[in-house]
Amino acid sequence: MNLITSSIGQGLLWALLGLALFLTFRILNFPDMTVEGTFPLGAAITVTAITKGASPLMATFLGFLGGAAGGLITGLLYTKGNIPILLAGILVMTGCLSVNLRIMGGSNVSLLGQKTFFSAKIFQSLPRYFDSVLIGGGTIILITILIALFLETDLGQAFIVTGDNQMMARSLGINTDNMTILGLTLSNGLVGLAGALIAQNNGYADANMGIGIIVIALASIIIGEVVFGYLTLNQRLIAVILGSIIYRFVLLIVLQLGFSTNDLNLISAIILAICLMLPKLRHALKLDGILRKGVSQNGK
Amino acid sequence: MKRMLAFISAILLFLGIDLVVAPKTASQTASKSEVVHVGILQMMTHPALDQIHHGVVAGLKEEGFTTGKNLKIDFLNAQGDQSNLKTMSQQLANKDSLLVGIATPAAQALANSAPKTTPIILAGISTPAASGLVKSEERPGGNITGTSGLNPVSKQFALLHAIMPRAKKIGIIYTSSDHGGQTNAHAFAQVVKQAGLIPKMYTIANTNDLQQVANQMVSQVDAIYAPQDNGVASAMKTLVNVANNANIPVFPCAETMMPDGGLASYVISQREMGRLAGVMAAKVLRGKKPAIYPVATVKNGYYMINEKEMRKLHIKIPAAIVRAASQHGKVIK
Repeated sequence: MNLITSSIGQGLLWALLGLALFLTFRILNFPDMTVEGTFPLGAAITVTAITKGASPLMATFLGFLGGAAGGLITGLLYTKGNIPILLAGILVMTGCLSVNLRIMGGSNVSLLGQKTFFSAKIFQSLPRYFDSVLIGGGTIILITILIALFLETDLGQAFIVTGDNQMMARSLGINTDNMTILGLTLSNGLVGLAGALIAQNNGYADANMGIGIIVIALASIIIGEVVFGYLTLNQRLIAVILGSIIYRFVLLIVLQLGFSTNDLNLISAIILAICLMLPKLRHALKLDGILRKGVSQNGK
Repeated sequence: MKRMLAFISAILLFLGIDLVVAPKTASQTASKSEVVHVGILQMMTHPALDQIHHGVVAGLKEEGFTTGKNLKIDFLNAQGDQSNLKTMSQQLANKDSLLVGIATPAAQALANSAPKTTPIILAGISTPAASGLVKSEERPGGNITGTSGLNPVSKQFALLHAIMPRAKKIGIIYTSSDHGGQTNAHAFAQVVKQAGLIPKMYTIANTNDLQQVANQMVSQVDAIYAPQDNGVASAMKTLVNVANNANIPVFPCAETMMPDGGLASYVISQREMGRLAGVMAAKVLRGKKPAIYPVATVKNGYYMINEKEMRKLHIKIPAAIVRAASQHGKVIK
C-alpha cells in the first residue's frame, strides 16, 4: 500500500521533467541534453539558498531561474552560435558541473534539519508519502494548466508551428530563432524546478544527481504515448504525467520481484525499447493475423 | 481518452483508500518476528564500498545475526543512479527494522525516507556531522549512528615526511564531484600546511582528465598524495605511470590503491570499518539507542609498502616502517 503511494508521489514529482522534455523533444522536435546539467543546477541553487536561510518558496523559484538561464545559453549557442543542438546541450551540461560545484562549495549539500516544502506541518498528520503526492500533484496540475494556456496563445501557436515546420513558420513571419530560445529557456526552467523539488524531497543536492535523468524523462513521454494512444495536445500533456507514474510502477515491480539492482538499468532500457517498438510490433502481429487467416482460407 | 480517465480515477481511488486506511496498516508492518530484517543501501559497485558491505555482514554475524537463521538482509545497489535512491530507500524503510547506508547519498536518502523510529547505521561516510546526518559525532541525537571513514591523514603525512624529509611541495589530486575525495584531500592539505610545507591541489572532472592534470602536477611537486576518491582510485595506474616517469612517488590512502603502484601508505581497512558498523547494527538491534551511541572511527591501521616501487624510484624507506609493515601490515614484493 505504502509503496504504491510513494511511487505515485515520485511519479508526480518526476513528471515535471517529462513535461519539460516534452516541450523540446516532442514539440520543438530536438533532443536537449542540457537537462542533465540544469537538473542538478536547480537542485544546487535551491539547496544552497535554503541552507543560507532563504524560504523554500524563494529558493525553489531561484532554482527555476537557474535552470532557465542554462536553457537560455543552450538556445543562444544553437541559434546565434550555429552550434548543433546536441553539442550545444552537451557543452552547457558539461559546464554546469563546474558551476554546480561552485554554487554548493562542494559536491554534496545536505538539507537534513532545514525547512523545506516537505517538512511543512500539514504533512505530519497525513499518512506517509502523501507529502510528495500533494506537492507533486499540486505543482504538476498548476504547470500543466499554465503550459496548456500558453500553447493556446498566439505565441504558443507560433511555438508549435516552429517545431512542426521551420520553413513554413518563417514564411509566416515567425522568428524561429526566438521561438527555439524561448522553448529551451522555458523547458530548462521547468527542469530546474524539478531539480529543486526533488532535491527537497531527497533531502540533499549532489553534483552527480543529473546522471541518467534524460532516460527518465523520455520514459515518461514514450510510455504515456504508447499506453494512451492517439490524443489531442492537452491530453498528451496528461499522458506524459501518467507515463511518469507508470514508469515508477514498473521500477517498483522490478524491485519487488527481487531482481538484482545491478540489472535495473538494463531492465528499464529493455522496457523503453519495447515501448518504442510497440507500434512496429503491433503491425507485425496484425500481419501475422492476416497470414493466419489466409492460410486457414486456403486450407478450406 | 477513456483509458486515461480510467487510469486517473484508479489512482485517485487508491489514494483515497490509502488516506483512510493507512494509519491501521502502518502499525501492522511494525510487528516483529524472530527473523530480523536489515536493509542495506549501497551507492554503487566499487571495490572499497563492496568491502564495507562484506564487513557489515561479517560484523552482524560476529554478534550472532546470521543470514538464513535469524537475519534477512535486503540489499539494494543504486549503481550510481541517484534518481532511484529515493524509491529504493522507501522500499527498504518500509519492510526493514534497521537500515544500513553505504556512501553519503545513500545514507542521506535513507535518513530522509525512514521514519524517525527506524535506526540507521552509517558505514563509510567521511563526515557524518558535516553531511547533516548526525548532530555531532560524539552524541548523534537521533536515529542515526555508525562508522566514519575519515582517513588517518596525520599518520599518512607523517609517513610521507619520514620517507621524503626533503619534499617541500606535496601534490594532492582529487575528483571535484567526489564528496569523499574532496573531504579527504582538504583534510590532508590542512595537515601539510600545519607542518610548514606547501600543499598543491589539483582537481579532475573525471578520469579522462587525469593524464593531463597529472603531467602538469609532476612538474610542480616533490611527492603526490592520492586521497579516498573513486575517480583517482580507478585511474591509479595512469597516475602512477605519469608520476614514475618523473621520478615522483605516489602515496595513496587506501589499500586497494597500493598494488597499482603506490609507494607506501598507512591505511585503515574498509572491511574493518564495515565490520564495526555491523557490530554496531547488532547492538542497536538488541536495544542500544543510536541517539547516545557515538559514531565510531577505525583508529588502528597498518603500514603498507611497495618494494617494486622502492626499487624503481631508488627510494629508501626507514627501517622502522619496513619492519612495521612486514610484521603487522603488508609488503608488496
